[in-house]
Amino acid sequence: MTQPLSRRTLLRGIGTALALPLLDSMRAVAKTKSPTRVAFVYFPNGVQVPSWVPQTQGQIADLPMSLPRVLEPLAAYRKDISVLAGLTVNGGRALGDGPGDHGRAGASYLTGIHPKKTFGKDLQAGVSVDQYMAQKIGGQTRFASLELGCEEGIQGGNCDNGYSCAYSNSISWRTPTTPNPPEVRPRAVFERLFGGGELDADPIRRARQQRYKKSVLDSVLEDARLLQGKLGSTDRRKLDEYLYAIRDIETRIERAEKQPPQSAPPIDRPAASIPEDYQEHTHLMFDLMTVAFQTDSTRVATFLMAIEQSNRAYREIGIPDSHHGLTHHGGDKEKIEKCIRINRYQMEQFAYFLGKLKATPDGDGTLFDHMMITYGSGLGDGHEHDNLPTVLTGGGNGLFKHGRHIKYKPETPLANLHVVMMDRMGIPAESFADSKGKLDYLGDLT
Amino acid sequence: MKYNLEVSRSLLTLCSFVALQAICLPSAVAQPLEIYQKTVQPFLSKNCSTCHNDKQKIANLSFDPFRDPAFALQQKDAWGNILDKLITAKMPPPGTPQPSRTDVAAVTKWIENVLGTSNKQAALNPGSVTARRLNRVEYNNTIRDLLGVAVRPADEFPVDDSGYGFDNIGDVLTVSPMLMEKYMTAAASVSRLAIFGEPLPAKPTRLARLLNRRSPDANDVLNKGNYFPYSIRGAMYGNWVFPVDAEYEFRLRVANFRPDKAADRRTKKQNREPTAVGEQKGAELQAFLEAARKAAPPRQVVLSVDGQTVLTDVVEGTAAFGYQRGEFIARVHVKAGERKLRASFPELADLGDPRQNINPDMRRQLFVDYLEIVGPFKPSLEPSDSYKKVFICQHAHGKHQPQCARRIVENLTQRAYRRSVTRQEVESKLALVTMAQKDGDSFEEGIRLALEAILASPNFLFRTEVPQTLKNASEKSAYRVSEFELASRLSYFLWSSMPDQQLLTLAANKSLRSPGVLEKQVRRMLVDPKANNLVDNFAAQWLQLRNLGRTKPDPARFPTLDDELLDAMRRETSLFVGTVIREDRSILDFIDAPFTFLNGPLARHYGIAGVDGEAFRRVSLDGEQRSGLLTQGAILTVSSYPTRTSPPVRGKWVLENMMGTAPPPPPPEVPVLDESKMATTMSMRERLEQHRKDPSCAPCHNAMDPIGFGLERYDAVGAYRTHEGKLPIDSSGILPDGKSFQGVKDLKVILKSQSATFTRNLTEKLMTFALGRGLERYDRSVVDQISQQAAQNNFKFSTLVLGIVNSQPFQMRSGDGEK
Repeated sequence: MTQPLSRRTLLRGIGTALALPLLDSMRAVAKTKSPTRVAFVYFPNGVQVPSWVPQTQGQIADLPMSLPRVLEPLAAYRKDISVLAGLTVNGGRALGDGPGDHGRAGASYLTGIHPKKTFGKDLQAGVSVDQYMAQKIGGQTRFASLELGCEEGIQGGNCDNGYSCAYSNSISWRTPTTPNPPEVRPRAVFERLFGGGELDADPIRRARQQRYKKSVLDSVLEDARLLQGKLGSTDRRKLDEYLYAIRDIETRIERAEKQPPQSAPPIDRPAASIPEDYQEHTHLMFDLMTVAFQTDSTRVATFLMAIEQSNRAYREIGIPDSHHGLTHHGGDKEKIEKCIRINRYQMEQFAYFLGKLKATPDGDGTLFDHMMITYGSGLGDGHEHDNLPTVLTGGGNGLFKHGRHIKYKPETPLANLHVVMMDRMGIPAESFADSKGKLDYLGDLT
Repeated sequence: MKYNLEVSRSLLTLCSFVALQAICLPSAVAQPLEIYQKTVQPFLSKNCSTCHNDKQKIANLSFDPFRDPAFALQQKDAWGNILDKLITAKMPPPGTPQPSRTDVAAVTKWIENVLGTSNKQAALNPGSVTARRLNRVEYNNTIRDLLGVAVRPADEFPVDDSGYGFDNIGDVLTVSPMLMEKYMTAAASVSRLAIFGEPLPAKPTRLARLLNRRSPDANDVLNKGNYFPYSIRGAMYGNWVFPVDAEYEFRLRVANFRPDKAADRRTKKQNREPTAVGEQKGAELQAFLEAARKAAPPRQVVLSVDGQTVLTDVVEGTAAFGYQRGEFIARVHVKAGERKLRASFPELADLGDPRQNINPDMRRQLFVDYLEIVGPFKPSLEPSDSYKKVFICQHAHGKHQPQCARRIVENLTQRAYRRSVTRQEVESKLALVTMAQKDGDSFEEGIRLALEAILASPNFLFRTEVPQTLKNASEKSAYRVSEFELASRLSYFLWSSMPDQQLLTLAANKSLRSPGVLEKQVRRMLVDPKANNLVDNFAAQWLQLRNLGRTKPDPARFPTLDDELLDAMRRETSLFVGTVIREDRSILDFIDAPFTFLNGPLARHYGIAGVDGEAFRRVSLDGEQRSGLLTQGAILTVSSYPTRTSPPVRGKWVLENMMGTAPPPPPPEVPVLDESKMATTMSMRERLEQHRKDPSCAPCHNAMDPIGFGLERYDAVGAYRTHEGKLPIDSSGILPDGKSFQGVKDLKVILKSQSATFTRNLTEKLMTFALGRGLERYDRSVVDQISQQAAQNNFKFSTLVLGIVNSQPFQMRSGDGEK
């Protein structure tokens, strides 16, 4: 496990007893040995406002005893969550591009960028906030970031009125043109985190295998460079993706070498198949995300409860209709009720995750204490892009004041929250995407 | 092209200040402008701007900016679309005031003229395909053909993104670090498998216990084992990979649940011990036994491997109104590789209603509990196919000659890279063999390491086409792709896999383009079993079949529909499309053909008599309510909601996929169909009629809804019906052009009469798939040409394929611009 960068380490490292000023990047971790981790959990198709918004007076108010139906599963954690109202992702709006709110909602949620309307080539969104963080701090862990989900992406090109499925399949974007599709198979996540057991236990043979691995990488890097010299500009860009990925693996191997060998994974190897039961699937994926944080394999993750514009039917709770279809309810009470039940069901799974984090010891407290988590959607009520349902939770290493319903001015960019979160991760930033300052009232940084 | 236009425009501006206009202005530039102002613009204002203005912007199109002629002349994409709409009389929408034919002709002539100029330039532009990484299907197929191993590593890769409806589009296929990690893992495991084979147990052991799903609901799925689709008829089927040529023992376990009612009739004691029948006497006993026999008649049980029966037996009924719980054992020789297994009770295929096998408590009366595979017995000592494909020197294991290393590596790189390779490329991989041996590893391990590197190389993972004349690469000149590249284009088009030895040899000899060779190769490839990839990849995406079952039909509404029936529907459409391709039939068969493929359960679902048993067979549809794709279960289900049909969705499906004339998405302000405000006594037709009263909904719904009405006699899972609830179904409709029809048969006649539109659409889709890129305006003339050729050749499928293969876009590519 990597040690967080403490002042003492730093001082020892340079072999001096000079008192150093408190650096910005150390601020977040100064009080504790546990690093801050961040997770962005996304649910599709928006919510019905009355089922989500707590009834409170004034701009800032304590969360009431009785929460609205969709938030109710979080009742036990009332003091550990903040419900943020009024946040907007302007990039998700049509802005002259016509229909396609789902594609735009997914692609703009963490990027803050208005994606280009295309269902073929020239995908264009922006770098998402998780990836921005990963690029800054990902080097400290084996995986810069993890992308998880509970519904496989759709194939078919045109998913939403001329928007590529890539826009609704992923919320994480490594570059403006490269989405990071989420992994939905529990077994695959496990093997990624803890290996498929292919490495030899014998240290000599193990070292040899590592050496071979590097030789293979060197060999294919050489292939790539030779090939790149021969290709035209468009093809070279494709090969750049390949080169980036190979280097990413190289750095990871180097990093792994410096770390003590992994102890036994704190979770059983999941079955090869994806559980069809939603609860079982989400729980397994949340478990895996938890152990990834617990073992400090990564500090940044995104999680899709389902893809944007999801057509999943929730038979588990007796709803055979497509979720997306239901959200076009046209005022039909029965359909609205089903939408609420689906939102609530998903929230129940999220509550499981919070419980899991609270039960997982980490440093001087629990994993929950050292996390920042958002749970939200890029769509509000109907197919709107303002007043987005947003829950902020996780102790954030003691930097948040929770238990409140905070109403922000309409049109406050969601990116304002992302700027604060970057700051709390020790990544100083003045702005991100379309942010206009930092989101207020979240807690005191002193 | 944009560039040329800019020049013309500046020329124009310049000329307007110059007296010698006539000399200065090339007529091709002057004329369009004049005609535009005189004829076209007034036409737009009068006929189009009512809907397509800045305010309404229906279909995201406004003609307000077109008042500026300079702007208007630049909008070539828009003109292409406008031309389509005018020619096919889709716009202005039928039912609204129509322009005169002469006016339309003048405008279309003008557009053709404007676009025609660019078409001539386009003749030199075959377009450029971005380097394509292998998608999941291509990766699996290529690994199989390259190494002869029966694994599908790409099933673990993330889903490929698609563009233009297909998942083989170079621009859209990206490589994420996660995917690269999986490529590396796959390279290691595949190379191990190819060189050392599957690790075999020292003595025969139980290799697998295959289970199936216990109910259609997700909640009780056994996720701790292999589970196979749910079958109401109690069958179990799926694929399993046999590690080596050997004998295997199959242990098939049958289970049953007694119907509750029967159990109720018996005493507790009888339930405990079936022999209690001894207490009954005479007629009472006779009646009892008769009832028991009827409740549980003897049933045949059959196990097959790749369609070959390996076990037949009979499950006897017992006097306890159930079946003996038996284990059936067979030991048979199976060849290594992925095999289809099926264990079932064939007689149940012919049940009038499959629910006869379901008890009131929803448990099945008779079902395959599990299938165990034990082995391998007497495994073959022969080297495996993959070993032979790699170690081409044919030396025995452990007796390889050092000089073989070069031959082996050279052969592997050539085939993996699908082209000839340089000395340097071979050396770089040979170095790995040497390294491993120096490290004390075996020759085999060295080769394995080289293979691992080959499989992770961009030369294997990407299909790149190298610009031929590097000097000219900065110019946008067009050139023919190399013969190797052409061989790959062919094989990935028709097989979704690497070129075979014949194609590679032809390419190496540079004779692939010799007269007659290409056509011969295409015809050879089309009848090869690998051409089924055109069905599984091209057709399945064209017809959106991959979405079938993504949202499963509601089991409460459609209780006889199980996974097995959905698979049967898929199978029907696959066999049907495959037959059109293999028999080189007319593509109009897709609209209307007098045959299909059915088995007993599917025929019963359709209400077609005379087809029994589990096996699929070709069935004549004379006198039936079905023919062609539109009335196949797979299509009808995939174009429905899980709970009901939707005429607009079906209509849109037909327009989009069959005719290529998908209506635009609804404008943002349009309200959704508000069903709550409509009386429940109204039929779907009446409800939609209300919807169409809204003028902003009408243009599109007038085109979509009638087609959907024509298909209303098939429910959301494709079963035939005459009523919806108590309301009789009216399957007549009037299309926007005024043509009316009485039912699906009439509708198909109308669709067939639009064969040009249909052919054009299919050509576009097939060409998109073949090229791995979206079609551009400059491809228009090629598509036209191929469609016309097809029409002249009885619409034979092969004319489309050959037309594409021989076309410039397939044979050539244009320079990739600045280096």
